[in-house]
Amino acid sequence: MSRSDVLVDADWVDAHRGDPGVVLVEVDEDTSAYDKGHIRGAVKLDWKADLQDPVRRDFVDRAGFEALLSQRGISNDDTVILYGGNNNWFAAYAYWYFKLYGHQNVKLLDGGRKKWELDSRELVTDVPRRPATSYAAREQDTSIRAFRDEVVAAIGARNLIDVRSPDEFAGRLLAPAHLPQEQAQRGGHVPTARNVPWSKAAEEDGTFKSDDALRALYGEAGLDFARDTIAYCRIGERSAHTWFVLHELLGQPNVKNYDGSWTEYGSLVGVPIKLGDES
Amino acid sequence: MAGSQPAEQAVSGGCGAPAGGAPVQDAGNQAIVQGKVTKDGSPVQVGYARLLNSGGDFVAEVPLGEDGGFRFFAAPGDWTLRVLAPGGIRADRGVSAATGEIRELEVAV
Repeated sequence: MSRSDVLVDADWVDAHRGDPGVVLVEVDEDTSAYDKGHIRGAVKLDWKADLQDPVRRDFVDRAGFEALLSQRGISNDDTVILYGGNNNWFAAYAYWYFKLYGHQNVKLLDGGRKKWELDSRELVTDVPRRPATSYAAREQDTSIRAFRDEVVAAIGARNLIDVRSPDEFAGRLLAPAHLPQEQAQRGGHVPTARNVPWSKAAEEDGTFKSDDALRALYGEAGLDFARDTIAYCRIGERSAHTWFVLHELLGQPNVKNYDGSWTEYGSLVGVPIKLGDES
Repeated sequence: MAGSQPAEQAVSGGCGAPAGGAPVQDAGNQAIVQGKVTKDGSPVQVGYARLLNSGGDFVAEVPLGEDGGFRFFAAPGDWTLRVLAPGGIRADRGVSAATGEIRELEVAV
């Protein structure tokens, strides 16, 4: 797999956004960004309202995902180009989510909304009208999704990559520093996890670093490329960014995203937790 | 809009960075770094504020609010606030955060 299979740049979007079979999708947690301006032709997905079950902590089920994409006018054969704010965190999460339900042709806009804005490219408020489709999803591909028991079993046996900031990893902060810090669960990290903050995989403009730089980053952090890997963060979207780097850009075969992440693990009774900067 | 989103919702709902930063009434037990970015006296509405730790590593980022505002919930200590905006604008300011205090920055670019 090469970068062009999974990433496009802004010039590609400008040249192809009107092509039949190409659908631009902005994915955010806060969709007011889309409402204030988005790339022409893009439809929106709300990370929470559209992709999370409204009652249980889980994803919408297969039928729900089918209904969502059908309503948004997305077909099974479409090439879906995802982008969003927060350095593409939620777009990367949606990418992983589309793969989980078996969508074949999905790519990220490198740099996401941030690079697009910093380059002063056009944003519009027109909302496109796309005719409804009959989207058919597959059963979840759990080869890319980790659950809590797998994480506990992976301690000392697989690569565990904690992609939160060093202060969250150590237990000094319980949330990213752009959010208030009150939380109920314990701080710290899963024992043996290596801390490679997601941000180290990205340039300042939100684009991904080169393959060589990425390989060096994880190698120097102690990732064993011959082992299977589980990535986690707080709620699973920053680790989807790292899952994308390891699985899609670097081609690591067995990489899972633990979407329960620290908000689940740090609230489990009886599991081991490590405090401080050391793994 | 995001700036009027209650802080509790921002925490329990997810991990994203609301434009301008999550709202706050008072510092409480938080160590807050906040401020506004202006250019020629007007708010910079399109741009990003990044918080870097004392080692220069990225910690957090928010899009600027409509008033050019940003807010971070840091830990006590020394930080660097970096502003990115269209036209290649890049500006750094040092700031020291303390628990229970709001540190205000005015960044003219």
